[in-house]
Amino acid sequence: MQKLTQLLDQARAKGWEIEEAHGNTWMVVPRTEFKALLAGLKEQGWNYLADIVGIDYLEYPHPKPERFCVVYELVSLPGYKEGDGSRVFIRVYVPESNPSLPSLTDLWMGADYLEREIFDMFGIRFEGHPDLRKILTPEDLEGYPLRKDFPLGETPTLFKEGRFIDPDAFRAGLSGNKGGMTGWRGGSRKGYQDVAAEVQKVVKGGN
Amino acid sequence: MVRDPQKLHSASVEAYDIADAPELKSEVMTLNVGPQHPSTHGVLRVVVDLSGEQILRLTPHVGYLHTGFEKNMENRTYTQCITYTPRMDYLHSFSHDLAYALSVEKLVGAQVPPRAQAIRVMLNELSRIASHLVFLGTGLLDFGALTPFFYAFREREAVLDLFEWVSGQRFHHNYIRIGGLKEDLPPEFLGEVKKFIVQMPARIDEYEALFKESPIFYERARGVSVIPAEDAINLSLTGGSLRASGVNYDVRKAYPYAGYETYQFEVPVLHGGDIYDRMVIRILEMRESVKIIQQAVERLEALGPGPIRDPSPQISLPPRHLLETSMEAVIYHFKLVTEGFHPALGEVYVPTESARGELGYYIVSDGGSMPYRVKVRSPSFVNLQSLPYACKGVQVADMVAVIASLDPVMGDVDR
Repeated sequence: MQKLTQLLDQARAKGWEIEEAHGNTWMVVPRTEFKALLAGLKEQGWNYLADIVGIDYLEYPHPKPERFCVVYELVSLPGYKEGDGSRVFIRVYVPESNPSLPSLTDLWMGADYLEREIFDMFGIRFEGHPDLRKILTPEDLEGYPLRKDFPLGETPTLFKEGRFIDPDAFRAGLSGNKGGMTGWRGGSRKGYQDVAAEVQKVVKGGN
Repeated sequence: MVRDPQKLHSASVEAYDIADAPELKSEVMTLNVGPQHPSTHGVLRVVVDLSGEQILRLTPHVGYLHTGFEKNMENRTYTQCITYTPRMDYLHSFSHDLAYALSVEKLVGAQVPPRAQAIRVMLNELSRIASHLVFLGTGLLDFGALTPFFYAFREREAVLDLFEWVSGQRFHHNYIRIGGLKEDLPPEFLGEVKKFIVQMPARIDEYEALFKESPIFYERARGVSVIPAEDAINLSLTGGSLRASGVNYDVRKAYPYAGYETYQFEVPVLHGGDIYDRMVIRILEMRESVKIIQQAVERLEALGPGPIRDPSPQISLPPRHLLETSMEAVIYHFKLVTEGFHPALGEVYVPTESARGELGYYIVSDGGSMPYRVKVRSPSFVNLQSLPYACKGVQVADMVAVIASLDPVMGDVDR
């Protein structure tokens, strides 16, 4: 774990935040400096990019500097050349106003799909990626599904004579609150008439 | 044939030096394969640009099986999420259960009893054997060899019967719980496992004889679609495919989990990096898995009966008989079933070795009873991006063999 110790010393000298928990180590690196840092690390034998994780901290209870965060997981691969098995998570915060990061595809070919997945799921653009397309979701799907403000997909239930129940509105009508997993937040049911009125309101509102 | 990684995304005949047959240089033809194609191992669609019969560029299109497991898991309690995990990699589903449970156990600080650890290791290796058998059977089927398919599925059926016996289901076991297991092994189960591992080494020799010595297979697979070690690491390739390129990286040895450090086994490494070595290495890995199962069975017999779950009532359901005598047990039961447990704020990642490579769950907890964010580092998804590289310059007839040798499971790719 010599490489990890060296890297952490470097981070402390620069004043970057270090988090340690459950045997993993995180390092918070400014967005402007991380590409140069990773290019340097690759030269030093951090040869394997294990994963890239996108996180949306919109509803996170603990305040974070920016809404989005991209975590790069770097490993100095044990069993290859002088690799010693160090593993570090490099955290880069990305602001909502300009969700973009420099791409790592010129350093690691393996960053290709991982960056495309984050672009697909969170809408974070990777500048310099040669083929930045959606990868998992259908082409006609709008929005970025893993963002916290994207609703969990539900299909309106269609009944006879054109009557249908829009799940979100149905739950809103039941509880008066934003729908959660069941939508029930305590209190009594309002009854079907009110729900129907709610649904009509939603339908007429062009939603 | 020059395979410059920087040119992976361009497809003109001039960009590639087809040295061996310049007179065959022709117009680029684009061919669509899949998504419904018998030899693409699920719903994988690839678009290949061909010059004659040589592949200039290959573009995989994935996502046909995308079901949004990660989004769903953000809206289910930690225990409910176990329903989703085995459905990703349906061939080695136990590995997903285990990887998920290990991550959550670190978050909540659960202590898994030794008996449960040994059972987990035993079943994980059994599941790995079943997965490798499907790999061999269908992989050789893609070469046109029909017989190994039936042989491999005979043994796989035996493993699936064991799983059905222990968990009630053949594919989606849901046998793991956070902090342990759903229930103990049925009586006489170890005896059946012993019968299986007694006959398995001879069967593995049989499979090996079916293809390894065959000159037809050798000519077809040796030296085709070579991935050198340097590029394999650069492509984030893991698992058997990486070890076939000469890199000794097995998570069970490098970052031991679930007590793997206490078992004696070797990590087979081959150096060819071609289809042949990628097929053969799975045979060698099955032999090591049999060794691990042997040791786990011996350990279980030595341990005898014991707890199979973390005793903490905040994590595991209380035993059934307590519900009739203890009010406290009823309260804990009610809390766990309706709400689940609340891990502390934080993030965690535990790497594990699935039959396909490094598998891990990156879990973000916001202190609630549902994970705030789950990211599956699924080996098939990451390994699949080696496909354009591995197929470059390969004959179009070998394409399905290259896909088979990288062993993607599309449920694991698309999640």
